[in-house]
Order: sequence, then structure tokens, then C-alpha cells
Amino acid sequence: MKLGSCSVVGAIIGSQFKFTSAFAESDIKDLPDNFSGDIRTHCGLCVNKCGMIARVNNGTIRKLDPILDHPKSKGMLCAKGNAGIQTVYDPDRLKYPMIRVGKRGEGKWRRATWDEALTYIADKLTEIKEKYGPESVLFSSTEGFQEEYFTHFAEAFGSPNTVRHPTLCLASVNNAMFNTFGTVPHFDLKNSDYVIFAGSNRLESLLTPDTIDMIDGKAAGHYHVVLDPRFTVTASKANLWVPIKPGTDLAFALALIHMMIKENKYDKAFVEKYTHGFDKLAAHVKDYTPEWAAHETGIPVETIYKVGKDFMSSLPRSVFYSGRRGSWTENDTQFRRAIAIVNAISGAWDREGGVVPARKIGLGEMLIFPPDEPEAERIDNVKNEFPLANRRDGVYLTLREHALREDPYPLKAWMIYKQNPLQSVPNSQKTYEMMKKMELIVSIDIIPNDTAWESDVMLPEATYLERTDPLHSLAGLEPVVALRQKVIEPMYETRPNLDIMKDLAGKLDLGEYFDFDIDQWLDAQVEELPIDLDELKRRGFYSDDKGKIFGKTLKEGYRFRTKTGKIELFSERFAEKGYDPLPIYTKPKNIPSGSYILLTARCANYTHSSLQNNEWLMAVGMHSMAHVNPIAAKKHDIGMGETIILRSPYGEVELPVYITDRVHEDVICIPHGFGHTSKGLSLAYNKGARGSDLLGSYHDKITGNAAMHEDFVQIIPKRTLHTEKIQGDKRKTRVESGGITG
Amino acid sequence: MSETKKYGMLIEQSRCINCKACMIACQAENNVPLHKHRNWIEESEVRGTYPNLGLDFTPNQCNHCDNPHCERVCPTGATFINDDGIVLINYDSCIGCRFCMMACPYDARYVDKERGVVDKCTYCTQRIYQGREPACLETCPGKVRTFGDLNDPKSEISLKIATHRTEVKYPETGTKPRIYYIID
Ligand code: SF4
Ligand code: SF4
Ligand code: SF4
Repeated sequence: MKLGSCSVVGAIIGSQFKFTSAFAESDIKDLPDNFSGDIRTHCGLCVNKCGMIARVNNGTIRKLDPILDHPKSKGMLCAKGNAGIQTVYDPDRLKYPMIRVGKRGEGKWRRATWDEALTYIADKLTEIKEKYGPESVLFSSTEGFQEEYFTHFAEAFGSPNTVRHPTLCLASVNNAMFNTFGTVPHFDLKNSDYVIFAGSNRLESLLTPDTIDMIDGKAAGHYHVVLDPRFTVTASKANLWVPIKPGTDLAFALALIHMMIKENKYDKAFVEKYTHGFDKLAAHVKDYTPEWAAHETGIPVETIYKVGKDFMSSLPRSVFYSGRRGSWTENDTQFRRAIAIVNAISGAWDREGGVVPARKIGLGEMLIFPPDEPEAERIDNVKNEFPLANRRDGVYLTLREHALREDPYPLKAWMIYKQNPLQSVPNSQKTYEMMKKMELIVSIDIIPNDTAWESDVMLPEATYLERTDPLHSLAGLEPVVALRQKVIEPMYETRPNLDIMKDLAGKLDLGEYFDFDIDQWLDAQVEELPIDLDELKRRGFYSDDKGKIFGKTLKEGYRFRTKTGKIELFSERFAEKGYDPLPIYTKPKNIPSGSYILLTARCANYTHSSLQNNEWLMAVGMHSMAHVNPIAAKKHDIGMGETIILRSPYGEVELPVYITDRVHEDVICIPHGFGHTSKGLSLAYNKGARGSDLLGSYHDKITGNAAMHEDFVQIIPKRTLHTEKIQGDKRKTRVESGGITG
Repeated sequence: MSETKKYGMLIEQSRCINCKACMIACQAENNVPLHKHRNWIEESEVRGTYPNLGLDFTPNQCNHCDNPHCERVCPTGATFINDDGIVLINYDSCIGCRFCMMACPYDARYVDKERGVVDKCTYCTQRIYQGREPACLETCPGKVRTFGDLNDPKSEISLKIATHRTEVKYPETGTKPRIYYIID
């Protein structure tokens, strides 16, 4: 029996439809209901924005495939990206505007028309604005291609209080890099012969192109060292895994600087020409010896010497990776500064295989009517409390403290875009308290997440596959301009955020600030590109094809964007603001007896606390279990799968135990993003534990970035076996660390 | 070079990071029912005790055997070997008796209840016959798999097999599997 090409086997499946043309009509504004074709766009399920091709048949998305020649995503689409179809067709989606009728959180809603819901919000906002001023309205949001319209709305409304996700994530890393190099550089991992990763779990917390470059680099014979108290996938793939006492990474970094200087292995010519404060640095690290670091970190001193020696002998193609999520300790910015300093004296700056300033392709700008500066000062007092923090991003935990104290004024309304603070902000009890202060809470989202469920109004946004977004220029060693265009018309009554903001602005007499549509915006942006919009729509992205460019900042006369115009080993800005201008080590707190350090983990199948309601992903991804070392398990006499209570001063949660040697005996690790309290999430509701219920409110001293690895928990055995059935392909898939064995 | 093709796959499992993109890509591409998978990642037991540990991930799917037990036991002849070496199922003839599932040493098959048939990896025939790559391979951040014609000595897969040490799974069962794993 022979099966010729193009024969159809079995039922209609996947992308086997034959398409007549690939998005022939590039100026389609409204896609016909029965549209069939391939449309190039970008994934929106995490920060990476991978290039992808949506295969649409008869108005239904059949398959999402990677764009193979995309300079950033390099032909990959992760499990989440592939499961995007399930997110669009998730029956739990927010479909219509909903207004709360019962008590907050009770889950009683009534469906409203857009006009009704927006009028309701506008009336409340007007009332609150008149009574308390525009500053009493808080606008919180997370990155995304339509986030700019939300912050623009906040400005037009006149509130200074926008708070974004960076102080729950990477604010400390960015701050340290920026105050050393005057920019936040990228790493040329594809070409680095020797890489040190400290806790950065890049093979489970995927970042393009770094994850891909790491896999390629490793196969090409590069040497990878991973410092981590957990045996992560990244650790398992490394040439050398160095278990380290949590919170002591800075000691290791300082010892590395010590070795480089002591053994004269730093790049003298580079340091002299391009950096500031070397002598002070040399004196500063004199006592940070490998022996001292060994004592602090628990790493054998020979290992520290070995890593130091190998790192130095591979220079200048050795790098110390900066990581991304730096919300670990109260000293996190200083730790990242030490990493920056290693890379600044190594000679790896702006060279192939090194640490390289990112490029960005310029875009045209839509000239819109600019709102006035808000009259009131920010409630979180960033200017004085965190003078080097990014003001428009705000500082989340500090803002919440001020809101709770109503200091210097109360917050009365909370507008939330694409964010789930009850999950993502540590210490959920305080978040609940803050919510009680609000006369109005509005969530704009695609799904009724925990916070939306506790809101007064839920507004359904169209997903990333149902809307056309403004262009975004993604910085990188190979920069790209990403176009996201809709591949189906918005389902139900969902709408793009721009349309929501526009109509709400109209109702508040702020129409002049939203006097444009997405097409005008795109036209203005594309003006600066050598290709036109039609061509861009066909390609899905624009790359200048120049590839990686090295050495621009090494040219005569280049001025680094720091105070001294040089790479600052000694930070003048830190000195000026009263921070340690060179990183000083501080010991982590002692572990109270009977307690464990709480770590939270990310997994490649979810984006933080989202996508747990996606049934394809939930079937293969990590489950919510407490990862406990066998030694600790023995101490408490608990067995695999037994239910335990984890208790911290801030709350307690119940979840099953997963006993594994993959965590240090002083550590308990729980995956982030579980224990959803929203009954609107039929799959994710009440599955496992929510980390924010256990975490306190520690923060980094310089940026205010949340410090999520400063908490301790106790184990209280329940002496019962966990009964919740964990679904999975039990036949053969061992769900990673979920305790399902094949 | 032989006239007929024989498709096979090479898996470089050291590049696999257990991200499961291949599993979801396949699920979407082939309408695989929820909680069933045509391909899967086998996660080894953690070897050793803290801090001396080891862990491997091995992608698995139908081996498109040269001597497939699944085909031999099929009472209706629904399972067949296509001319290009791909083991396929004629869904019209499949009665869902599951003999093939029991015969396959690799546990590669599953029941598609809705359609009343047994199913498994087809190397994405609907894609490869249009010159595209199987979905699992294409989407993978590690590009762990290589797919191609084993009968063509110049194909990428043949060249890789010629220059690496490889093994197949359960050769003792006599199925002559055609998925090769690089051992490093
Ligand atoms: S979710 Fe996955 S596919 Fe989508 S942008 Fe992120 S990494 Fe890329
Ligand atoms: S997509 Fe690739 S890296 Fe990810 S699990 Fe599958 S084979 Fe492994
Ligand atoms: S792996 Fe199993 S199902 Fe696939 S051809 Fe071999 S015996 Fe048949």
C-alpha cells in the first residue's frame, strides 16, 4: 500500500489543510469569519514574543508554528506558545464585561454591555477623582504590547501612580547593569566559551535567544557552571553544578573578583582605558578571599579556585551571566553589581562571546496629545526612598505599604491591566488589606484570575491572537521589530485594550488623548523602517540583517552613559545617593531552628502565575508540591505524597510533599503560580499552594525589588496522604517533579 | 543511493531540556486527545544523593520499526509499513482492538476514544509530504531531532549517524527500530 504525497490520513488534523495563499490580502482590517490562510505574528504568552505563523482554517486557529528565520526566537515555539490555541479557546475566558453583584470575591456577577460597564467605571472614577484627586487611582500593569495605552490612560487621567512588574522581577538586575555600564547589556552565549550562571535557571525559565544559544553553545563544547541550591534542569545540563548556600552568591562573585585581581588575570589595558575606580575596587576585595567565600557559601575552596582558574583561562570569552529575575535578597542589586564588575574587568565587554550592549531598531512615533505632568507626587515616594529606581515603574511593595497607611494620601480605586497581584506580589494578606481600601477595583484581562475575581468590574480583553498591536522593537544582539496582527476576529465581546481605553477616556472627557486608532499608530511607526506596512505584514517582523555588531562602545571618544562617562566599577551615583559604591557582602539571616528557606520555582510550562488553566499545559507541567530533601523528610517522618502544612509568619498553605535530592536540606521549594482562589478558573482553582500566601514583604534596599528568598517556613505534617487526583498521561509521562511516575 | 526512501529519526537527547514543546506541538498538529501523547519525554530517576546528582531526559515516540510487532498482530491489516518506511494505520480498517498496543515494546500507541481507533506518531505525514518538518522537530528549542532519509547516505541524518555513536531502544525485541539515539 502506498501513500502518496499530500494524501490525507485519517480525520482532518492539524495543519494539513492546503492553503491557497499565505495572507495574500495584507490590508485585511476585518478578517472574514471564514478566513483561511497563514498569518505571521508574535506569541504573547510571555516576555519573549516568539515569531510564529498561525494556520487558520475557516476562521479557526488550527496550529501555531514557529517562524523559522526569526532572529530572536530562532525557529522555536515553546510548549506554552504551542498551547496558545487552548488559551484562546479556553471556555473559562472572560467573554463579556461583568459587574459584581454579590460581595467581593463571592463570585456573583452580572453580564453588562460595554457601554454600561464603562459608564459604571467612569462614574465611579469621576466621583473618586473629585473627592480625592486623580492620584487616588492606582494603575498597575504588566508588560505586553498594549500596556502603553494603559499607562498613557493613567497619565491622561492625571494619576502619578502607575506601578509595573519590574519590582517583582528584574529591577535589581537592570539597575546594577545600568549603573555600571550605562546600559543593560545582553550576553553572547552562543559564543562564550565559559559561562557562570548563579541561580539563573535559563533552561526552565526560557529566554530567547539565550536558552537556545546555551543549548547550542554547550553542544559546541562550551563550559557551563551553575551555582544553585537546587539541582535544576540548567544545573543538570551544566558541566559543573556548584550547590551553594542560598543568599550567599555575592560572596562567590567577590572572591572571583579577588582572584582575577590578585592573579593579574583581569584585562589591564581595558580597565585603564574604559573603567572608573579600579584601585578602590582592588582594595575593596582584598579580604574577600576564596577561603572566606568557601566559608560563607559552603562551596569547597578547591571548587572556587577551579572555577576561578578556568574562568580566567578562557578570557575574554568567559562571562558571568547576570540573570533576569533578581527578586531574591535584600542585597540583590549589590550582588548583580558584583557580576557586572566581573564582566567589566574581564575584557569581555562588547566583544564576541562577551557582554554586549544591545541594539534596537528605531521606529517612528505617533505624535499624540501629551498629558500634563500629574500634580501630585507618587504615593510610594520613590523619589526619596529609592532615588535610583525607575519612577514610572514604581516600587510595588513600598507602594502597598504607603497605601495601607494612606501615606500621604489614600488610594481609592485600582485599575489593573494584565496582572494578578494576589499571586505575583508577596504577602497576599496585605494585598487583600489594600483591596479593602478601594472603592473600585477594575481588572482588564483575558481570564478571571484571582485578583479579577475579587474585583468590582472585569473587562474582557481580546487575546494576542485576536488583536493587532503597536509595533515593538525588541532589543538584542540581533534586534527585531515585531508585528503582532490578529489572526481571528475577537471572540465573544472581547476587545483590544486600546479600544477599551479609548472608550473609557471618551466617557471621562479625555477623548483628545486617544484621538487615533491602531492603523494610524502603525503607519506612524513603520515610517522609519525601510519596508512598508504591507511588506511587514507579510513578513511578520523586520530585521536589519546586520547580525551581531561588536565594539561600538570601544571606539575612541565613546561616552558611557554613566556619571564619569566610563564603566563604573566604583559607582559614583551609588556614592552620591548614600549606597555602598562597591558591593559589600552581607550574611543571610540565620535559619531559625526547625525552619527552612522557602524558594519558589518557575517551570517551562507556565508563565509565572498564568497558564495554569490551560489544560494541555497542566497535563504535562509541574504540579504544586513541596520539594523537600530526604534528610528533612526523615526528620519530620514524612513520606512521598503526604500532605503537609507550610507555615510562615504571614500565612500557611497545605500541599503534598515531593521528596527529592534535587533541593538542599535547608530548603523547601514550591513551584510558583498555584493555589488559585478564583472559582472562575475551573482547572486551576484550588490546586496546590500559592507562594504569595507564605512570603513576607522583604525588598532590595536600592531598587525596592521584592526579595522572595528571604523567608522561612516550618513543616507541619498532617499525617494524611494527598488525595487530589493529578491528571496526566500516566502511561508514560513522568511529570517533572510532580511526583507522577510513569 | 536507493530509489526508495526510508525515513528515520535521530535524537540527540543531551540537547533536550524537558520543555515539552514537542509534546504540545504534536498534540496541536495531530489533534491528539487530552492526556494522550504521541511523543513524550522520559525523565530518568535522579541519580545519586545531594550534591552528586545526575538526571537525563529522553524523547520518545514510535520507532517506525522495520519489523514492527504492531503490524504483525493487527488482525485487520490496518497497520502497515508505507513504501517510505513509515509505519501507518489505515483508520478505516482499524477496529480499536488494541492488540498492537500490547505488542509494541515501546508503548508508542494510545486509544483515540472519540474516533474509536488506536493511534500513534506518523512523522507528521501531512507535513513532511509537503516538504515541511515534523512538528516536534520544528518547534524544539534544542533542535534535538534530525529527520530524513536513511537510504540516502548524503542526508543529514545519515551523515550524523555515520559520524556519531548511536544506539536504538530495545534491540533485543527484534523490532528493528528506526529511531537512533546519540550516545556521548
Ligand atoms: S510563551 Fe513560549 S513561544 Fe510564547 S513568547 Fe514565550 S517563549 Fe516564546
Ligand atoms: S521540545 Fe526539544 S528540548 Fe523540549 S522536551 Fe521536546 S525534545 Fe526536549
Ligand atoms: S514503535 Fe511500536 S508502534 Fe511504532 S512501529 Fe514499532 S512496534 Fe509499531
